[in-house]
Amino acid sequence: MELGAVVVVPATEDLRLSHEAQTQAVAASENARPFYFPRMPILGNDVLRSWMKCIRKLGLQSLWLNSSRRDKNVDGSALAEFARQGVERLLVIQLKAYAEMDLADLLRFHCESRNPVTEAEDARGQLGVCLRDHLALQPKGEKDAFAGAPPQSGQAPYQFRGYAKRILSARERQELVGDGLTGACAMRPQGTEIRDQVWVGEGANVADSVRVIGPTYIGARTIVRPGATIGPFASVEHDCVVGCGTTVERSTVLPYSYLAPGLLIRHQLVDGGYLEDLSWGTIADLQPAGLGSRIQRRESRRQAVRETGVVSRAGGASTRDFVPSSSASQPWLRVQL
Amino acid sequence: MNTIPWVILPFPCGSSFADRRGLRKDLLIALRVSGSPVIVDLSSCGTLAHEDIDLLLECVAQAAGREAKVLFVAGSRVNRVLLEVTRISSLVPVFNSVREALAYPQIAAENEVEVLRASQFQKPGSA
Repeated sequence: MELGAVVVVPATEDLRLSHEAQTQAVAASENARPFYFPRMPILGNDVLRSWMKCIRKLGLQSLWLNSSRRDKNVDGSALAEFARQGVERLLVIQLKAYAEMDLADLLRFHCESRNPVTEAEDARGQLGVCLRDHLALQPKGEKDAFAGAPPQSGQAPYQFRGYAKRILSARERQELVGDGLTGACAMRPQGTEIRDQVWVGEGANVADSVRVIGPTYIGARTIVRPGATIGPFASVEHDCVVGCGTTVERSTVLPYSYLAPGLLIRHQLVDGGYLEDLSWGTIADLQPAGLGSRIQRRESRRQAVRETGVVSRAGGASTRDFVPSSSASQPWLRVQL
Repeated sequence: MNTIPWVILPFPCGSSFADRRGLRKDLLIALRVSGSPVIVDLSSCGTLAHEDIDLLLECVAQAAGREAKVLFVAGSRVNRVLLEVTRISSLVPVFNSVREALAYPQIAAENEVEVLRASQFQKPGSA
């Protein structure tokens, strides 16, 4: 049976927009919290790559990448193209969770249960991974949503009991960081373990007087200035600058963030000039107070794009000659595995 | 019942540069001359700029080594987070509201009594 794979990447909605929303008196509920671009590295790892590895194990040579806005699913008509092009079964992954899932087992379950749709879920709900057979690829209407659709009655979901974390939430990202640093999950920090549970990425510049308390991760090309304290349970991703005497503890600093001297970052997530407190979910703008900002490094960004492994745009050379519907509003990218 | 006379000073925020300068001067003078505990209220500040952080640090410096207490009222979670990030909350007690701050001396007084009692109990044994 011809199997295809699609990974849907929710588009970014950065902290700046969320902060603006908050200042416009939006209720500070869990739903009002920002969500983070799922391709933001976690301990130097790209979650998309971990899913690509899982898909490769199924014997697939390529997958299709699509982006969608928050709370919006993939254009149904675009996905129906897969059915028209002869795909009999489609694996749809919404890049919203990191899960150590054996996709072969999901496939086996799907075949045995003989359902047209199988959604994977854990104790907290859907993980954004589903398998659809040919019939379930036919749209019922123009706005039919495929990914993340609730299973119809009588269709047993695939109960995943392994390790999973939702990466769109700052709190769960931090939990994943902690688990990765302590070996509680399979994700390993990308760098050299310079001492027990302390990883440093390539080209990182850590001053001699910096106190590094493990478990901790300092990403590639990050500069940590004298007198700073990093850790425990801290992850400072690549291309960041941590000012003199600043403490980063039980927190994540996302790439290209600058932190001014003398700050205390504890149980928080820093994304450029914005900060989310993980306990309260409060977003604070660090920029007016000169406490933090976004670092622009074009060369590093170009490098990051090169590392994604995207080989061609939809409509270009493709192994299956699949061309998504021209009416599709979102860009499609083919990724070689 | 709280009998201590508190001085509540609004934090100069969002004003023009000249107004801000005047208010800043008033705030620092009030802190210097006031014999009563002072509450600096940031409730009217939406967010804190770097001049605000500087002024808050000046307030902390004015209060250092003086009898009179200084308390900050963050007024919002965003301000509270910024006060924590800048470590100001580790120098001066920070509260969410004026009401919460006004309850503070009662707690402090109770604690003082407890400490006094504990030290009295320890005296015979330690002698």
